[in-house]
Amino acid sequence: MAEAGAAGTAAASGQAPGRQVGRVLGTQDATPLSFWVAIQSGAYLQLDDVVVTARALPGEATVLHSGVVTDVRARHEGAQFASDVFLIEEGVLPAEIQEVAEISVTRVDPELYVPPRPGAPARRAGGDERDAALYFDTMERRVPMGLGRDGVPVYLNFDFLDGSRGAHISVSGISGVATKTSFALFLLYSIFQCGVLGGRAANTKALVFSVKGEDLLFLDRPNTRLDDVGRDSYARLGLPAGPFPSVGIYAPPLAGDLTGRPDVRERTDGVQAFWWTLAEFCEQELLPFAFADAEDDRQQYTMVVAQVASMLRRSGSPAGTDGAWRVDTATLRTFADLVDLVTDKVTAEDTRAQWAGPVTGAGTVNAFLRRLRSAARALARLVRADLPAEAGRRVSTEGQQVTVVDLHNLPERAQRFVVGLLLRAETERKEAAGPGSLLFTMIDELNKYAPREGDSPIKQTLLDIAERGRSLGIILIGAQQTASEVERRVVGMSSIKVVGRLDPAEAGRSEYGFLPVTQRQRATIAKPGTMFVSQPELPVPLAVEFPFPAWATRPAEAGPAPSVGSGAVGTAGRTTGRSAGRSGSRTGGPGRQDPFAGIPHDPPPF
Amino acid sequence: MRFDVDPWDPGYGTALDPDLVLAETAASVNLDVEVPAARWSAVVRPQVPAPSTVLFVDGVRRIDAHVWVRDGEARGGGNGGGGGFGATEGICASYAAGVVASAGQTARLSATEVRRGLFTSAGNATGVTTRTAQYPLRAAAPDGASDVLSLALQGQLAAVEDTAARHAREVIGESDDLLVVDGPLHGRGDLPRTVGLVKTHRATYLPGPQHTLVASLRAAERTPVFLIGTSWQRYSWYLRLPCPVGAPWAGVVRCEASGETTVEAVLGLATRTQVVLPRFASCEYKDARAPQNLYPIAGLERELRRRLGDQALLYRGLRAASVAS
Repeated sequence: MAEAGAAGTAAASGQAPGRQVGRVLGTQDATPLSFWVAIQSGAYLQLDDVVVTARALPGEATVLHSGVVTDVRARHEGAQFASDVFLIEEGVLPAEIQEVAEISVTRVDPELYVPPRPGAPARRAGGDERDAALYFDTMERRVPMGLGRDGVPVYLNFDFLDGSRGAHISVSGISGVATKTSFALFLLYSIFQCGVLGGRAANTKALVFSVKGEDLLFLDRPNTRLDDVGRDSYARLGLPAGPFPSVGIYAPPLAGDLTGRPDVRERTDGVQAFWWTLAEFCEQELLPFAFADAEDDRQQYTMVVAQVASMLRRSGSPAGTDGAWRVDTATLRTFADLVDLVTDKVTAEDTRAQWAGPVTGAGTVNAFLRRLRSAARALARLVRADLPAEAGRRVSTEGQQVTVVDLHNLPERAQRFVVGLLLRAETERKEAAGPGSLLFTMIDELNKYAPREGDSPIKQTLLDIAERGRSLGIILIGAQQTASEVERRVVGMSSIKVVGRLDPAEAGRSEYGFLPVTQRQRATIAKPGTMFVSQPELPVPLAVEFPFPAWATRPAEAGPAPSVGSGAVGTAGRTTGRSAGRSGSRTGGPGRQDPFAGIPHDPPPF
Repeated sequence: MRFDVDPWDPGYGTALDPDLVLAETAASVNLDVEVPAARWSAVVRPQVPAPSTVLFVDGVRRIDAHVWVRDGEARGGGNGGGGGFGATEGICASYAAGVVASAGQTARLSATEVRRGLFTSAGNATGVTTRTAQYPLRAAAPDGASDVLSLALQGQLAAVEDTAARHAREVIGESDDLLVVDGPLHGRGDLPRTVGLVKTHRATYLPGPQHTLVASLRAAERTPVFLIGTSWQRYSWYLRLPCPVGAPWAGVVRCEASGETTVEAVLGLATRTQVVLPRFASCEYKDARAPQNLYPIAGLERELRRRLGDQALLYRGLRAASVAS
């Protein structure tokens, strides 16, 4: 692979044009969109290499066909039978080995859609030619999203992310090996650090929902396992290798604890507990969010939900300073109190007509109560008025750049409740504030919140974000194991589609139609750290390797906090911590290494 | 009834031409070169090392079009259609020769050369240039024989083969190599360490007792060397290549070596063919003339035919050129 390294360096140093690697062949049709190149002896092409060929047209400028290698094949020419290979290798039968590469054209410049001519020399693109082939030259605002197979940065057009021309990212892949969360976080990091935000940097926020363990609670700590190779990757991408500079972390309150401590095990400081008071719950009519399918028209009891929510608001008033809510003579301090009250009201003969609706039958009321009681267990920790009032308990993205909300300790129903409410609140806040700033919302397991089947308030909120978020400045970064199980419109509205390691059965579904056949096959064997990124300008998704996280993903990796104090909530505008781990970068050689190789037996949780 | 199927594809006939089996050749044959005729018996393969390099030379020919060269202006009425022409037959042919060098673990093609030509005895003929190819004039002597053109082509092909063989010897060959020429040796007798490989047996050179020995040879066994004298002298021996037991002469090839060399050298060559040739013998489902059509030669012929170019294209080019002429 010495040659590969050399090629990488040559391209990295911006040399152009590249070396000839072969010629357009004529035994397969060459078309303006796809052609094959026979590789000359002593040269090679690998998947994802960028290749250029030129054709001079009479009376016109020379047309440059640029493309990406999407298939490479080698075969014995002169062999007729499979067993001829033994004769050939024994020196009995003369034959030649010929390699050919399929080039999927990414750009024809100028736009004269003529095929390249068989026999025309094809060369590896480097420097400006590579940038032009991949449209990097036309990207006014570009975000580095990793290194290509050739070791040179690959960019994302920010116009298709910030709402100017498109928005939203959809990341799919198998849990555990697809590194979905890591890549999404790296993209966030890159967006915040590469300078593309310009004047909007201060007002641009990220809201990250953490649903799998406490991996995301250390984003503000440098990763002590980041080695020189990793730092070199960050240097090549033009990014500092360090943690997220401004992070606020929220977690639900510890169960059975009446002091309002956050329920996290790995991290002791800088985590803020969050909950909603019963007064908020009643005043803002949050009851529908407690039901998974509250807006499903096929369900009778949804009428009861709306009616009860309305009654709770109209017939009650705040009590005390801790957010309790008084209805008639009863003071509601816990969710159980509320459930008891509602149960009384909808079952008692004299109040049922008012609270459950005039013509509601007992069966429908029971269906409502059954669901309410099962929700009670999940929401008891989150909706309460038995904790001392605290200003910081409201989740807000105001005070810091990245807001992490830890949901992994919550049951699924409670997770949906939190996500739904926070998204609604942020959507309303953004609607009021206007599109001047951006909010990136990162949600894992999107199939839970916006499933293809059924309907719910959370799904409605997500659909709203998917469809209007572009104009509101809310960018959805959704991750899911299977895009086929997520609401079509949510996935469909994503301008940027990313795929990590895919299950072979999943890879065959139509949601991945944007991947060429060979990339679908490759996606089933993709290593951690390799993603295929499709963006609107490029007809071929690009294979990207993103560097090892520069921020800690677990306590064992966490270096000392980079600034005075911790990553506590409310330290707005902290921008220290860039210097962490910068010394020693650029020392790694140009050789291509698996960025995740340093931890073969202990992969980071993705 | 028990019977065996001849291993060659029916289209090629059999390696042993039945009409000629009994027609003993008029050539003088000296059977006493290696051992006296009375003591003839199969020579078992000896344990000697194989040469480091084996060179195989072969050529292919193809008639791209039959042409008629007009011998003057039209007689009679111009475009009237009644006019006739005097014309002389000719052929436009492509032919090529090349070498496969099998050394160690690799077999490489080299020294291939493709030529074309217009073969005719017409006195006013010139070369033909088409869009895709050039056919220089290769004049044939107008001696009236029906196959004069074919013989002229064969002569030219032999010349290219000869060039290829000499080139192989000079550029690729090593001091202990063996050069195998497909077909009779003909004029290449002066090349050292060279054997001709004859697949089809058109004449019976051996008298009765010795003739029966050939059918009883086992794989890699050969007959003793004998000397054939026709218009030119050459040493020869029969060799059985490995193949399924069946037809009596299945897998038998006749090797030729120059009559100019010493007997010791010829015996050395005969030994080498026993060591070398069975390795290259083809297998019946891969070659219609297995095992006699050796793998390297089959591969070489395939490649050479490919290099002759597309016949339909060349034919179209000739048609176009004839209209324009």
